[in-house]
Amino acid sequence: MKQTVIATLLATAFAVAAPSAIAAEGGKKKLTQEQIDKVVQSQPMPTGKMLADNCSACHGTLGAEFNEAMPPLAGMKKENFIKLMKAFRANAFPTIVMHDVAYVFTDTEIEAMADYFAAQKAEEWTRPDFKGEGK
Amino acid sequence: MSQITRRDLIKLFGAGAAASTGLLGASKQAYAKSSAHIVIVGGGIGGAAFAKYMRLANADVKITMIEPNPQYTFCPGSNEILSGHETLENLTVNYNTLKSRFNIDVVQDIATEINYEGHQISTIRSGQISYDKLVVSPGPDFDYQFVDGYDAELAEGDFPHAWKAGPQTLKLKQQIDSMRQGGTMVISAPSNPYRCPPAPYERASFIANMLKQSNPTAKLLILDSKTSYVFQNHFEHYWKQHHNFGQENARIEWVSAKKGGTVIKLDAAEKIVTTVGGEKIKADVINIIPEEKAGRFAIANGLALGKNWVPYEPKTFASKVHPDVYVIGDTVDAPMPKTGYVASNQAKVVAAAINDLLAGKEPGTPFITNNCVAMAGEDYGMTITATFRYTGETKGKGFLTQVRTSKISENPSVNRIRAEVAKNWQRTFRKDMFS
Repeated sequence: MKQTVIATLLATAFAVAAPSAIAAEGGKKKLTQEQIDKVVQSQPMPTGKMLADNCSACHGTLGAEFNEAMPPLAGMKKENFIKLMKAFRANAFPTIVMHDVAYVFTDTEIEAMADYFAAQKAEEWTRPDFKGEGK
Repeated sequence: MSQITRRDLIKLFGAGAAASTGLLGASKQAYAKSSAHIVIVGGGIGGAAFAKYMRLANADVKITMIEPNPQYTFCPGSNEILSGHETLENLTVNYNTLKSRFNIDVVQDIATEINYEGHQISTIRSGQISYDKLVVSPGPDFDYQFVDGYDAELAEGDFPHAWKAGPQTLKLKQQIDSMRQGGTMVISAPSNPYRCPPAPYERASFIANMLKQSNPTAKLLILDSKTSYVFQNHFEHYWKQHHNFGQENARIEWVSAKKGGTVIKLDAAEKIVTTVGGEKIKADVINIIPEEKAGRFAIANGLALGKNWVPYEPKTFASKVHPDVYVIGDTVDAPMPKTGYVASNQAKVVAAAINDLLAGKEPGTPFITNNCVAMAGEDYGMTITATFRYTGETKGKGFLTQVRTSKISENPSVNRIRAEVAKNWQRTFRKDMFS
């Protein structure tokens, strides 16, 4: 009896964990825009914070890292953020990587991120005593 | 760690089955904010990002991190130590800011066993720690069984894998620096998945660039357990320009798994590796990057459900074993590369989800990117942008992936700027976790 229970539960657990068919790794299997839109529309939009916190690895926590290569986003005027992101998305503005970042976002997602960053203080996040600046 | 009994297994799977029916009774979890205690196992990128972003989301919860080491050394950037462009010191941070600025209780200890029903975690020195929510971020563990004759002891000794930045990185550097003129180095690259997919090739590239100056007749042989790898076009583009790649006198050679490149045996005494094709290669420096699996802590506590990686609920990264135990980082069986970038963004998803649940709200839609960088040299960078959108599907791993990689450029300025972007990313990324 106990063994049956284990077997059933194992089967359930593994069925749930089976690999997804939805993936477009390295362009091997390109998704159509229609397939992508369908997924985007099937869920509530991620919050502006959820979207914008993905920017922090390059632009700093809350977009507030003032360094040489990637501009700070904290305190950026909403219209400027929207205009730039849409230009990146359209590949209409020369950039090293932002065109490849921006192309996934919808208009409303860009606006939500713009609101989020406009509301942040334009003040360096990292305190001077932080160790780990690297070269 | 005690053995997990059959009764425990039933308990675990029973709880898992309950968890997989959905996040029932979210409102029951609306504790008084001040009483919620969130405990994190592991103070690497995933654990540190979670601690900081949990605090940014919620000033009132109590947050405890259990981490054995007093400091953390970042892996991103550590390949550059081998060529002398970076130092371990620069990549090492401590937990002072997490403690003082974000009020995280950092307990220097080793977490051992989760008591799922009792919401407690055992430690070696600090006894039992109670939690309301537990976030497990142990990183990967190395699995040595695939190369006969190689083990953890040899890795600590004369055959460092250096796949976790630290003393092994310095040992490997010293071996490369003291290699005889015209010597041979072998790098054995693992099969997928493993931490930082482009890193074996980035490592090879930085080493070859250094050898070109210090030991120009030396050879670097990459024996691969894969048939292709990320940024392959970029690396080959660079190696053709700098290391005669593909020619008779190439400094770097790459042997695909398809051509028998998989290393299956190490003769440590003779310094000979044997490939699956039966070829024996004697080398002066041997760097075997082991296969990986979920961290020992996760596996020992049944979180992997008998598999190599930990299954999870895609919306919140709750484990399948218990809804109050979350798992993030390299240890998770997510359809995402095992990078620090991804671990940090998974951490933010969990911080937001836990904050919602504590407030009695349904967690929002997760959104995760891996907008990552690699370098072939100080003057040549490359970028990959991957976006993972939550699909809401109960079957599969729950995310849709969109990926782009940078295009090959013949313009040296573009390649140089990409490298500067990569270096800038490393710096900013460290601050995003620890400042």
